[in-house]
Amino acid sequence: MSLATAISPPQRARLFAGSLVPRLVAGIVILGFWEWLVREFAPDFVAKPSAIIAVLPGVVSSGPFLESTAITLAATAEGLVVALLFGTAIGVLIGRSQLADRILRLWINGFNSMPMIVVLPLMSLWFGYTTYARFATIIFAAIFAVIINAAEGARSVPKEYVEVASSYRSGRFRMMFEVVLPASMPYLLAGLRLAFGRALIGAVVAEFFTAIPGLGYFILYNSRTYHQNEAFVAVILLAGFGVGCDMLISWGTRQYLPWYRRDERAE
Amino acid sequence: MFASIRRHAPFVLSLAGGLGLWEIAGRHSSPAFLVPLSATLERLVQLLERGHLVDLFLSSASLFVTGFVAAVIIGMPFGLLLARVRMLREALDLYIMILYATPMVALIPFILSIMGFGFAPKVLVVFLFAVFPILYNTIEGARSIKPELIEVARSYRSREWALWREVMVPYTLPYTMTGVRQAIARALVGMVAAEFFLSSSGLGGLIMGASQSFDTAGVFAAMLIIGVLGVALTRAGLMLENHFARWRG
Repeated sequence: MSLATAISPPQRARLFAGSLVPRLVAGIVILGFWEWLVREFAPDFVAKPSAIIAVLPGVVSSGPFLESTAITLAATAEGLVVALLFGTAIGVLIGRSQLADRILRLWINGFNSMPMIVVLPLMSLWFGYTTYARFATIIFAAIFAVIINAAEGARSVPKEYVEVASSYRSGRFRMMFEVVLPASMPYLLAGLRLAFGRALIGAVVAEFFTAIPGLGYFILYNSRTYHQNEAFVAVILLAGFGVGCDMLISWGTRQYLPWYRRDERAE
Repeated sequence: MFASIRRHAPFVLSLAGGLGLWEIAGRHSSPAFLVPLSATLERLVQLLERGHLVDLFLSSASLFVTGFVAAVIIGMPFGLLLARVRMLREALDLYIMILYATPMVALIPFILSIMGFGFAPKVLVVFLFAVFPILYNTIEGARSIKPELIEVARSYRSREWALWREVMVPYTLPYTMTGVRQAIARALVGMVAAEFFLSSSGLGGLIMGASQSFDTAGVFAAMLIIGVLGVALTRAGLMLENHFARWRG
């Protein structure tokens, strides 16, 4: 047995314990502080950990909550699919064609740096207080992140790949689907990760604004009727979606694109 | 000079083309749906002359600046502390990551019912939007410091102050600045969200009011200002980030 294998398992165990115990302690301290703060200084309706835990099973199995979750997730997925399809198409066009890049880049960057929720009132003017307003808001929120990452990905495809493919007389279609898109996959995933978070925010904000059913409205309604603990369960779920999507995509990148390393968090 | 023209020409043309398209499309559609550029600018001048616009802008700006500066003042030192004290960082990084990924807009109804309609709850919203990217990226930066660097500094009996000045700050600051850039963009979203969903005020309030009275031109005028503001702030953030990225390893 080599020295390395002999000492590595206990070391790993210690590392694991080294971060588990402080994390647990920190978690308990944070929750305890929150509980104390609310009990001591806040009115009774304010959300506190003990009460959230108490209502958690009831809320999670309640009809309105599950329905709201399903509605918001479905709406987010719908908008995201549209944003991904169109965003990738536009992005690849910008990445592969200098003319398109020159015409569009200014506008894409401009819209991307606009806080997307300013379109909400306009969407409600255009579509009324309907699910279409939410749909449009989600697309608007998500699409520019997709475009920018797809363009960057298409631009970064190594020249050699394209040259080899074209010297084998690869047609445009196959070039796109068998060379350019696979090669820019890591960028597309980075775009998807950003877009998912933004789409989710777009959905929640649109539901606040237009009062159409969904998780956002669930939060709004419950916190207005002094059911903050119930409302907070939905916040936890939203945070879970955000973290879950992050973890899923970085796991997918490591699993299926192991050659790829990049500052994944770059926005 | 020709080189400069050639370099800038595509952008000027693209800008002019897009604005022209807006004008033409606006003239050929219902004014409730889309307002041409000229009418938007006209409305903008009207708003300026009535004196509201400057006040609204200042109100928004003071909200943005207060929340953002609070996020920087609290986020940067705390982030550096987390960078230095490994135990603390390992204890808190998971929670900061979770809060970084949480859509902060979801907390607005809580803030509203606890803190009401004043200035403070709005500042809190902007602060919450802005602070976590700073913390998150600073921790990422701290993780990127090679342990050897600290070991070498130690073995040369570096004092705490020198360790901070020569190793900790230079190595984490570029990452922190990436966080600051993200924070600028998020603080702007937070500002608009706070003005929409807490008491209506500033430029966000202007959009809300205009949309409720079906004043499409007013909506476009306010969106134009916020859009230009967004572009300017994003550029400023990128410049800040690039300035500090120079010594990034």
